Amino acid sequence: MSDLALEAINLTKTFSGGKVAVSSLDLGIPKGTVYGLMGRNGSGKSTAIRLFLGLLKADSGSARILGHELWTATRPVRSRVGYVAQQPQLPGWMNLRDLGRYVAHLYPSWDQKLFETAAERWELPMTAPVGRLSAGEQRKSAVVLALAPQPEVILLDEPTAGLDTIAKREFVNLLVETLADRPDTTMVLSTHDVGDLGRLANEVGVMDRGRLVLSHQVEELQQTMRKVQIIYPDDRGPEGLRLPGLIRQETVGSVVTAICRLANDQQLDFLRSEAGVRMEIFPMGIEDIFVEVFESVESTLLQDARN
Amino acid sequence: MERQKALHFQIDPRSGLPVYRQLMDQIKYYVASGGLRAGDQLPSIRDLAVRASVNPTTVVKCYTELQHEGVVEMKHGKGAFVAASTSELSDIERRKLLSQLAKQLVVEAKQLGASKESVEEVVREEWDRLPS
Repeated sequence: MSDLALEAINLTKTFSGGKVAVSSLDLGIPKGTVYGLMGRNGSGKSTAIRLFLGLLKADSGSARILGHELWTATRPVRSRVGYVAQQPQLPGWMNLRDLGRYVAHLYPSWDQKLFETAAERWELPMTAPVGRLSAGEQRKSAVVLALAPQPEVILLDEPTAGLDTIAKREFVNLLVETLADRPDTTMVLSTHDVGDLGRLANEVGVMDRGRLVLSHQVEELQQTMRKVQIIYPDDRGPEGLRLPGLIRQETVGSVVTAICRLANDQQLDFLRSEAGVRMEIFPMGIEDIFVEVFESVESTLLQDARN
Repeated sequence: MERQKALHFQIDPRSGLPVYRQLMDQIKYYVASGGLRAGDQLPSIRDLAVRASVNPTTVVKCYTELQHEGVVEMKHGKGAFVAASTSELSDIERRKLLSQLAKQLVVEAKQLGASKESVEEVVREEWDRLPS
């Protein structure tokens, strides 16, 4: 048995009209991981998730959850996987209580107490038709309906979009409690709002134009990615400067700003011994890293275009 | 047991400091300031995870690291407790932590235009404010 909850190999999907949505995607997410899938709008996150769920058919390559291609999987396999779409489509004429009854019928692992507690915490009306609830309430309803069957793997596409700050925190805590009760649950959260990911994600991936441009453990990134600023004396520039682990470097006059991936900060000690050179090393949060990854991807693409 | 229930834990998910390190620093601060005392029980993993809104595995990592540093003791089936002796940090480690903190203080103080003497005075005052 593989220890991967999700695995994509060379996954590719092109839409009619020729838009490549997902391109040669290789991705492995171990069981029990909270994986933050980051990327700008249109980067292919939602398509990748829909391919994993078997809601779309891949042109080539494979996408498996718990070892199965969901495109062809049987109902018992599919019922181990939960999903909340970016724009949940709930039947508007049903109320949440009836929806709960209906979904409970489909899932042997349905947890009625979890369903009721979460709905109560979010003050979701149980007896009003969901079509009359606000967009935020409909989203919360979809999340509650997806968590109550206690899926082994849950994929949430932009789950906090449209939620206010309080609702976002309640949402995070609902996931925290789920993880405390069932630590083996694998979660994939796609988002362009990086903030709250830092609380939950063990691993993050960044997608750009259908490709995965980075995938790493969060703590490892925080411990290795550094923004470095080096200020040279006026009479001397950074000629011949070779920074270890360099990702991006910008020089303005005698000031060098760089993004480096370092095993440890001591790798830059050689600069401290240079007379008159001042250096500051800054740690980077995942939001900073996300932005920097994009700027470096953009600049590489620009260079490629010029060459 | 009552005291630990009132302790507040705050996490900045945008910080470059890993979340488990932020939690470790706060627990160490509470131990140093008397908010937590030797033998006090720490919140359960679930409780701290929910209070700080973080992944429970992060709390596990925090407690494991603190145990490693001798700040916390894990009692089987009972949970995590503040260790009887918290002076287990090596001199090198302690020196390193102090330098980091001092650097922050000095940078901020210079920005404010404070004198070396006034910084020393304030440090002495704060030192005396906390129980030894």
